[in-house]
Amino acid sequence: MMEVNPDYPGPKKAGPDGERYRLKDPAFFDYALKYCLNCKRCEVACPSDVHIGDMIQSARIKYGSQAKVKGLRGVRDWALASTDLVGSLASPVAPVVNEVLQLKPVKSVMHGMLGVDKHRTFPEYASKKFVSWFLKQDQSAFDKFVTYFHGCYVNYNYPKQGQDFVKIMNAAGYGVHLLEKEKCCGVALMSNGFAAKARKQGALNLNSIRKAVAAGEPVLTTSSTCTFTMRDEYPDVLGLENADVRDNIMLATKWLYEKLSSGEIKLKFRKDFKMKVVYHTACHMQKMGWQLYSIELLRMIPGVTLTVLDQNCCGIAGTFGFKKENYGYTQKIGSKLFEDICTSNPEYVSTDCETCKWQIEMSTGVPVLNPIEILAAAIEA
Amino acid sequence: MKFDVIIIGGGWAGCTEAEKLAEAGSKVCVISEGLSLASVRYETPYSRHAGLQKAGVTVLRGDRAERGIIEDGKVTGVITRNLGEGEPLTADRYVLATGKFFSRGLLSDKEHIWEPVFGADVDYDPDRTKWFSQDFEADQPFMKFGVKTDAKGHVLVDGKSIVNLTAVGDICNE
Repeated sequence: MMEVNPDYPGPKKAGPDGERYRLKDPAFFDYALKYCLNCKRCEVACPSDVHIGDMIQSARIKYGSQAKVKGLRGVRDWALASTDLVGSLASPVAPVVNEVLQLKPVKSVMHGMLGVDKHRTFPEYASKKFVSWFLKQDQSAFDKFVTYFHGCYVNYNYPKQGQDFVKIMNAAGYGVHLLEKEKCCGVALMSNGFAAKARKQGALNLNSIRKAVAAGEPVLTTSSTCTFTMRDEYPDVLGLENADVRDNIMLATKWLYEKLSSGEIKLKFRKDFKMKVVYHTACHMQKMGWQLYSIELLRMIPGVTLTVLDQNCCGIAGTFGFKKENYGYTQKIGSKLFEDICTSNPEYVSTDCETCKWQIEMSTGVPVLNPIEILAAAIEA
Repeated sequence: MKFDVIIIGGGWAGCTEAEKLAEAGSKVCVISEGLSLASVRYETPYSRHAGLQKAGVTVLRGDRAERGIIEDGKVTGVITRNLGEGEPLTADRYVLATGKFFSRGLLSDKEHIWEPVFGADVDYDPDRTKWFSQDFEADQPFMKFGVKTDAKGHVLVDGKSIVNLTAVGDICNE
């Protein structure tokens, strides 16, 4: 962000340096902190393990409340953050919503009045939610189970990714359970200043996760950001204790890599599968260090030609990139990555983050797949 | 996770070693602490990591080797900051390329100088007054300190050779 926007003071000044002043007097809170993408690259770069990103996030929550966006922009932020509510409302009328959101006049109105950038393509809503599909699947034939945290994107926008997850698990001999209750992990709420609601949803999710873990099931996910939020931001930013279950929350790619490489599970791969893929490491993936597992899992698939891209941020930072005032910055930040993708000329880009997916598809035109989708396409059903 | 060679340190020396090994067909992992970021850190071989990854080398950027596990005179794994205690990275051979003081390959207090990953023996004068020269422009003796190796290039820990651990670049003594 610093490289493209001189108004942003940079992680050092926005984080620990600014914190010294904020502790003395909250009036020192700098509104430019809203430009922090929460990519956590500052924490990855810090040689002394200072939680710079958490410090900035916490400051925004603690001191930024008086800066709550008013008027229509406030409505926009609330709508972007309320993924569960908006998703539930949109999915019964999905075809209409999808069409309407693509109309030029609608985009212009949203751009002008709400401040949702007209260049953005909204992820399409699915007419049938993942959960509705899943409840019709019979999982009773299995004796071993994993629990799946599907997240908002899979449920409201892209059930296929969840269906692929179920297909792989079933092929590996595992049945799938859902959490007793699942709400959005809260990442969009946090970044839009709705910390209290995020905390409430986090507590509800942890409660369900504890029940699944007590039943001896790992809680698997297919989104790197949801995973990172539940593992690290719950305790560090929201103050929700999760040490008892943190190790049981993980990306499906990590779980699958470990089980496949130890020989505990076996998958039958198609012989005729061919795909040229480049892998993009999402920022939160890099913070967790788990790109290792997704990359090695993709390398295990016969027929996949994989190139790993240099680790550059795509710029979108979730709902941040949908806002008109940020659009220009997000595209500048992502430009290095887009160039890298275009020169590699792949059939597909693979990444574990859905918002990176939207940004890359919109900015390069290359279709993006989650590693789980590639694996599902490569195995015999 | 198992590799042929794990290189600890993604600076110039580590990258050069990784390029050579990858070209020869080895499965290589580079653990590189740094990540270029304005106002926090600037990392010189930034551009070289991109090339290494395209050549199939696993580069763990922004991760750090916290501790090497040594059993019976051999390194059996490395624990990293991001992956944690439960998930050691393993290889047949390990290369230490963490550089000197600025890159934290060597750490020091007022009496000691040590190598933090493996606890390798460091070649330095116990008399602190001999670590540096008062003449600012003179060659500073502390810049010649580094880890001890045997005739075959194996790194020494507690006076014993570690048969699958070598050192390259600035971390070596002169």
